[in-house]
Amino acid sequence: MNQFVLTQGSSEELRLFPHILELGIVKNSSIRLNAFPKTSSDGIKIFCVLEGKFEWCVDKGQYLLFPGDVALILPRQEFGSGNGVLEIGSFSWMHLNIRQNGNDEILLSAWSSLSETESSAISKILLINSSPVLSKFYEAGKILKSIQNELSGQEVGYRARINHQIDELFILMTRHLTRQTNSGRDFPKTFMNLEQALRQNLSHQWTVEEMAALVGLGTTVFNEKVKSYSGFSPINYLINIRISEAIKLLKRPDKNLTDIALDTGFYSSQHFSTTFKKLTGYTPSEFRKNHLSKK
Amino acid sequence: MKCIITIELGTNAVRVFAFDLNGNIIGSLKGYYPTFHTEPDYSEQDPDQIFLTMLYVLKNLLNDTIHSKKYKVACICFSSSMHSVLPIDKHGNPLGYAITWADNRAKKEAQSLKNSSAGRSVYKATGTPLHPMSPMMKIAWIKNNDKERYRQTSKILPLKSYIIQQLTGEYMIDYSIASATGLLNIHKIKWEPDALKFAGINANMLPDLVPVFTSAGKLKKAYQTSLGLSADTKIIVGSSDGCMAILGDGVKGEGMATITIEDSGAVRVMGGKVLQDEKQRFFNYLLTENCYVSGGPTNNGGVIFEWLTRQFGDFKNPFDIDHSMQELINDASKVPVGSDGLLFLPYLLGERAPIWNANARGVYFGLNIKHEKTHFVRATIEGILYEIFSIGKTLEEHRNIKSLSINGSFGTIPFCTQMIADIYNKPVRLRQNFQSVSFGSFLLSATEMGIYKSLDEAAKTVFLPDQYLPEKQNHKAYMKYFKIFERLSTRLAPEFEEIANLQ
Repeated sequence: MNQFVLTQGSSEELRLFPHILELGIVKNSSIRLNAFPKTSSDGIKIFCVLEGKFEWCVDKGQYLLFPGDVALILPRQEFGSGNGVLEIGSFSWMHLNIRQNGNDEILLSAWSSLSETESSAISKILLINSSPVLSKFYEAGKILKSIQNELSGQEVGYRARINHQIDELFILMTRHLTRQTNSGRDFPKTFMNLEQALRQNLSHQWTVEEMAALVGLGTTVFNEKVKSYSGFSPINYLINIRISEAIKLLKRPDKNLTDIALDTGFYSSQHFSTTFKKLTGYTPSEFRKNHLSKK
Repeated sequence: MKCIITIELGTNAVRVFAFDLNGNIIGSLKGYYPTFHTEPDYSEQDPDQIFLTMLYVLKNLLNDTIHSKKYKVACICFSSSMHSVLPIDKHGNPLGYAITWADNRAKKEAQSLKNSSAGRSVYKATGTPLHPMSPMMKIAWIKNNDKERYRQTSKILPLKSYIIQQLTGEYMIDYSIASATGLLNIHKIKWEPDALKFAGINANMLPDLVPVFTSAGKLKKAYQTSLGLSADTKIIVGSSDGCMAILGDGVKGEGMATITIEDSGAVRVMGGKVLQDEKQRFFNYLLTENCYVSGGPTNNGGVIFEWLTRQFGDFKNPFDIDHSMQELINDASKVPVGSDGLLFLPYLLGERAPIWNANARGVYFGLNIKHEKTHFVRATIEGILYEIFSIGKTLEEHRNIKSLSINGSFGTIPFCTQMIADIYNKPVRLRQNFQSVSFGSFLLSATEMGIYKSLDEAAKTVFLPDQYLPEKQNHKAYMKYFKIFERLSTRLAPEFEEIANLQ
């Protein structure tokens, strides 16, 4: 087995890049037992298959990866070979130290030049995505190779270039994931997926950028498509879902209005109350009274 | 100036139109609502989201167009999809989501009744095919499989009744929607005891049965205020989308049929008599007393061509299905009639009329080495329309059809309209970009207001300007293929069943 690994703390090359925990490449020419057990750790890991084929477990699923395929392992997800075997072939990987805030949102830290909204949209898509395998995503292997070259060459500007390339990797991964789930051919299905994502994270303060990124469209085209398909702007459609869910919660006597407001994504009970009245003609408490009392 | 507002509660969206008293459209808006499929056979919608979406869209239309132009809303008339089922508790709150027409969970209930002699007499009395779409079957399913929900149920409403009740407080069901529940004796216009018994409910659990012209009381105060409407705005219960579509095309009396092709499709005729079919292939719904809308529905309309487009369209821009469809149709128009012998059975979603076989599947037949992509495209369109023709042909066993009108997004594509004229060998009329369902609601409202003496008189004013005439040569060619199509559709039944079991 040939292996080349840089590790934070022991490799001088990574001194200027505290966010890179590990960067490596492996070429394995014979099957090795117990060489690739399942482990989990903080941070994000990206594994790019270069040669051969590997059967890997990510989280609870099992996946077969071929050259060009990439496994994306999110913080605390289990990753490794199901039976611990390291198969024949070659792959490269990078392990990044990523912080998460209280909502588990992934924060791309000081090294990143992405804006806050962009990085939040990327985080949302990586977290919502259900398949950890990006198939035929050759760009990732190329970027890891290029980062390795920059680290060993240390030519002028290498620090900036490496950090740019990590950003680039995140952007491309996000775009690849949305294209993988949305073929760009079936808007009704795509809209249904979006609707599901919104409902599952209704308390999140969604922006149009995040919603558009989830669908894999630019905001202008996204606005047009949603408007012509649903009759509503994306934000008004979201408000529609919020109030519909609130109506259901109001019919349950055990929840207080502030909780309902926050659960359904309103930033205050005042904001909830005005919006609710505007759309339904009743304030939330009037509505609750009408529906809880016996007619 | 007075205006009439029509509200169409469709499968995926609510469409609100405002008409002046001459039937010109002043404004229109739509609002989408989702359908949930939590199990493969399930198809459900959130009644509160539908109500909210309807309010939101209505309010926007009133504020944007109606109030600013100083129109006074004389009435609001409803239409909706058929066959929905919403149980509510004693407080009037929904018990879960509404079950829509497309829901197939009640397969067993439908099968058991269809195979019995009781089934035959229930179909004769109610006119609704014994199929999982029928509310009678869905209610029986709830009784058999969701005992807690059944126990808490105080009333069972179609979605439209729930929406109207939210607005006015009145529980009402119109003749048309009632006649599509499988529970109404359409000859006596009374709830049918045997059907109620099968469903496991009594008549008190259903809304009040009323004619389509009935006003459902006053808007609640809160809605008068928030919508800016006066207390005397009439809320007319209206009819079903199917009945409104045929009325909106001006069909009243015999000799004409209306073809609707959206995602799914239907061929309908109107007449004074119930169309009794020994093979139970048709529905018979009531528009008014002694006025029956009869016909057959297909699952496989425009949705099949959309499927084809998603597989083979070029999609130069993401999600631009309209453009991709047009390109494919341009290709198809260059292929000769009959697609050089490539034949397509469109049963990707199983089929209702006329073969009523849920196991039916799609087939390309007659494929040879010279066929190209464009042949597949043309054959697919021809197959969808052969199916539409086979419904019309079975209807002609009972009724004389001299001419056709057509509506719906797929049927009104000029290439398709011409093909229908050719296959049927009858002239076809339509109005481009026209909403027949909403116009039917307008005619019904205007009749209620006394602008027309009767629905007959209202229907006579409808003028459909575009006419497509059949080409004799094309008709002859199509008929050679249709003969094979028709035979395959029934002959393959054993193979359909076997392959469906493997899927």
